[in-house]
Amino acid sequence: MANISCTGITKSYGAHPVIDGLDLTVADHEFVVFLGPSGCGKSTMLRMIAGLEEVTAGRITIGGTDVTDLHPGARGVAMVFQSYALYPHMTVADNITFGLRRLGVPKDEVARRLRDVAAMLGLDALLDRKPKNMSGGQQQRVAMARAMIKTPKVFLFDEPLSNLDAKLREKLRTEIRKMHNALKTTTIFVTHDQLEAMTIADRIVLMRAGAIEQQGTPDEIFDRPATRFVADFIGSPTMNFRMGIIRNGVAEAGSIRIPLPPGRFAVAEGQEVELGLRPARMGLVAGDAPGAIHGRVVLIENMGAEGQVIAEVNGAEMSFVTKEFRRLAPGDAVSFALSPDHLHIFDRASGRSLLNKDA
Amino acid sequence: MTRQRFIFLTLAPATLVLVTLALVSTGGALWFSVMNRALRSPDSEFVGAYNYLRLLRDKRFFNALEISAIWEVVTVAGTLIVAVLLAVLVHETVKRALWRNLICFAFLAPVLLPRVAAAFIWRFLYSPSLGLANWFAGLFGIGPIEFLADPKIALLSVAVVDIWQWGLFFTVILVKLLETLPQDPIEAAMLDNARTWEIHAFVTLPMLRGPIISLALVKAVESLRSFDLIFVMTGGGPGTATETLDLYAYQSGINLGGRISYASAMSILLLVVTTVAFTFIWRAGKKWSR
Ligand SMILES: Nc1ncnc2c1ncn2[C@@H]1O[C@H](COP(=O)(O)OP(=O)(O)O)[C@@H](O)[C@H]1O
Ligand SMILES: [Mg+2]
Repeated sequence: MANISCTGITKSYGAHPVIDGLDLTVADHEFVVFLGPSGCGKSTMLRMIAGLEEVTAGRITIGGTDVTDLHPGARGVAMVFQSYALYPHMTVADNITFGLRRLGVPKDEVARRLRDVAAMLGLDALLDRKPKNMSGGQQQRVAMARAMIKTPKVFLFDEPLSNLDAKLREKLRTEIRKMHNALKTTTIFVTHDQLEAMTIADRIVLMRAGAIEQQGTPDEIFDRPATRFVADFIGSPTMNFRMGIIRNGVAEAGSIRIPLPPGRFAVAEGQEVELGLRPARMGLVAGDAPGAIHGRVVLIENMGAEGQVIAEVNGAEMSFVTKEFRRLAPGDAVSFALSPDHLHIFDRASGRSLLNKDA
Repeated sequence: MTRQRFIFLTLAPATLVLVTLALVSTGGALWFSVMNRALRSPDSEFVGAYNYLRLLRDKRFFNALEISAIWEVVTVAGTLIVAVLLAVLVHETVKRALWRNLICFAFLAPVLLPRVAAAFIWRFLYSPSLGLANWFAGLFGIGPIEFLADPKIALLSVAVVDIWQWGLFFTVILVKLLETLPQDPIEAAMLDNARTWEIHAFVTLPMLRGPIISLALVKAVESLRSFDLIFVMTGGGPGTATETLDLYAYQSGINLGGRISYASAMSILLLVVTTVAFTFIWRAGKKWSR
């Protein structure tokens, strides 16, 4: 049992709180990703759970035990750092087994566990190397092995892949997720990369300026963003936003007219709103189709299987993604539309989504 | 102007001065060492290796060699041990930047004192009747201790002064070095259940191995030049208990015997021994610090 619960967590450096009264629970075996722009307090939150940073107020429990005042080593957590944080003068084997040796685990037991972990992460051939003679990917594998060998109650990752190149990042990401599927250890993974979060998480905790903006499965976060901030942060290419107004059950923005399914949005007649249209949820349509948006192609970005088309609509740019982008050229007139039920409407003042809860 | 020529032209004047001074004095010493020049008579004649052969039968010379070796080991090891322990202590206990800087400033003071001044201060502190050291010892019911007059502890007592000056200075350097270390491996060690002393023994100090070895080499060279300190504090005594090679060379060449040629032979031997020793130490140091 290693669920985590944080209640009323506050952290201040000086007078200014970086995290203010944050509540969070992580279930046993869950893989949670802290996602948010840089500087929003993800690392601070993770480091408080690890015990590397003191909380200003609030309690943290791991597996039912209050660990708020425990030394990091006594909390049963293992952490993987962005910088790898290996002990530079020790061999890979010594790096991995350092923690077990500190606990006085018998030598043959240490050797056996080292063999298992090294085999799992493909480090057998590297055990006698020093960190500086290895690539970034290999070093991060060693750091993961060092975390795994302790069979901790909780894994903490602080942007472990950010220093690696794109290919390797993808590979290690898959490995981390596979490792979790096999070991089922409760995991918190910090990243600022929304794609990484979407692909790896059971649940995303999206943070903004020291508070949780929204939490939910990747699908919930992607398709039902609770605020304009979430909608803007998630998804690539980013969502198109247009100021609009509700008239006769239709969302209007310039020449754009999108009929609203009745009961889906909590909007009033004549309410001024902001519309959100996800490029990935749009496609080419015939010019007279209902809800069609008419524009002129400005630029086409070839992404291989599909292309992002940037079109000028009412004097502002709007992008959408289509597989049939090769038919288009800059300057062409183009008609495209949002798939039904994929419109987002936000309150202009608060930025909150006006989607009805049960819709 | 090419880079090569620039380097040559800028280095040449200083190198010329250094080489001239070193060559003239070394050449002079070498010349004296094969003569039988003494202060009491103006003329001298060539005696070949006579002075060197006599050195090899001189018990006092070998005593001085031994004292010099002990002096090197005690001061270098003592300085580093004091510096490492104090630096870790300051690093762990003093977290406020202001206090840390004040402590560092205080620790720098001793090394800024001229040697002779430091020697006089400590001679006073060590004084059997008036000294602070004996007043302290008295509190524990010990003493009075003859710090500088007891042949068994005189060398150690002088070494304490040297370690007081340099150990505290190196403490400041190590405190600053500890501050520059990356925090992540230290935090990883905390999560790996390492206690504070284990973090320093297994992580931070090994990370500073290179700089610490460099400090040791600097101190080893510096310790060779402790003539002024020992001369003022004990003058080599009691007996020859604190007589290092440079003190003996001075005593026999200038002070008592006035046997300049004999002292020159000793200096030449000292030069050869230290050059050879330091070549080996330097090589070993470079290998360890990797
Ligand atoms: N030691 C510190 N002293 C003062 N402010 C800090 C310190 N550490 C972090 N902060 C501030 O706390 C905020 C959150 O930082 P961090 O948790 O590192 O963000 P993230 O990991 O989400 O990028 C930032 O605004 C940062 O400036
Ligand atoms: Mg961070």
